[in-house]
Amino acid sequence: MRVTMLILILGMGTVTFIPRFLPMAFLTRWGLPKRVKEGLDYIPISILSAIVFPILFFNEEGTVGIRAHYILSAIPVFIFSWKAKSLWGSVLLGMLVYWGLGFVL
Amino acid sequence: MSILVYAGASQFLAIEMISKGIPWGPIVIATFFINLRHLLMSSTLSLHFKGHRLRTLGLLSAQLTDESFAVAMSNPSKISNRPSYLFGIQMISQIAWVAGSVGGALFGRLIDHKEYGIPFALSSLFICLLVIQIKKVHHLWVMVIAGIFSIVFKWAFPGNWYILLTGILASGIGIAIEMAGRDKK
Repeated sequence: MRVTMLILILGMGTVTFIPRFLPMAFLTRWGLPKRVKEGLDYIPISILSAIVFPILFFNEEGTVGIRAHYILSAIPVFIFSWKAKSLWGSVLLGMLVYWGLGFVL
Repeated sequence: MSILVYAGASQFLAIEMISKGIPWGPIVIATFFINLRHLLMSSTLSLHFKGHRLRTLGLLSAQLTDESFAVAMSNPSKISNRPSYLFGIQMISQIAWVAGSVGGALFGRLIDHKEYGIPFALSSLFICLLVIQIKKVHHLWVMVIAGIFSIVFKWAFPGNWYILLTGILASGIGIAIEMAGRDKK
């Protein structure tokens, strides 16, 4: 059991490293077509949208739906982040609003 | 585990699979696919580290995460050709990750994780990380498009393929919109 766990953890460590390393290793040497480079400018916004929006529109059971508690908490965080651009502030505000809404909803 | 496997979702999945008695092979394969989205992040970062030593790149890429990537890309000029700056962001984030794992294991039972807005803490962080990436109108469009795509893809495909697919497609559309705008001028 111990050995299997060790293999498992080492295996997971290796496969999480591969997709992180290969592009960095090769693309820093090869160079990319101009269009692809410009396209990469949209990767951060695309990936973060893909992380955030499903949180708001999927229930815990994994079905599509309006998750009102989350969406209502998200709106002030969106506005605050836009104005203040503060990570700590956004997290605290988000937790507070979510907690407060818990009493109302 | 948190030191070697720097990937939250994979850790949770592994624990679930271990408890079901699934052998290590399938768990490792599942981990690989969950983390494929890092291909896109690593490609994006590569633009800023042209010609740097493989050792440096290896160190940086081993510590790449959604969060440190987002922080780095909110102001790419700061990390461009400055591996130590990115390394700093990542070290802080990794120390916090390992400390959090230990803290959670020791004291996790003391508080109810559903209380005090804790379920929304990580979501708030990601919302702020999302908002600080918006630097031009095109980004706003891509955000809306990516939002719709991600919901459809998550609904249609198992696991978290939706992040990788949305990343590729929404960025493609982003550059298409940008070029269409340029042609008009």
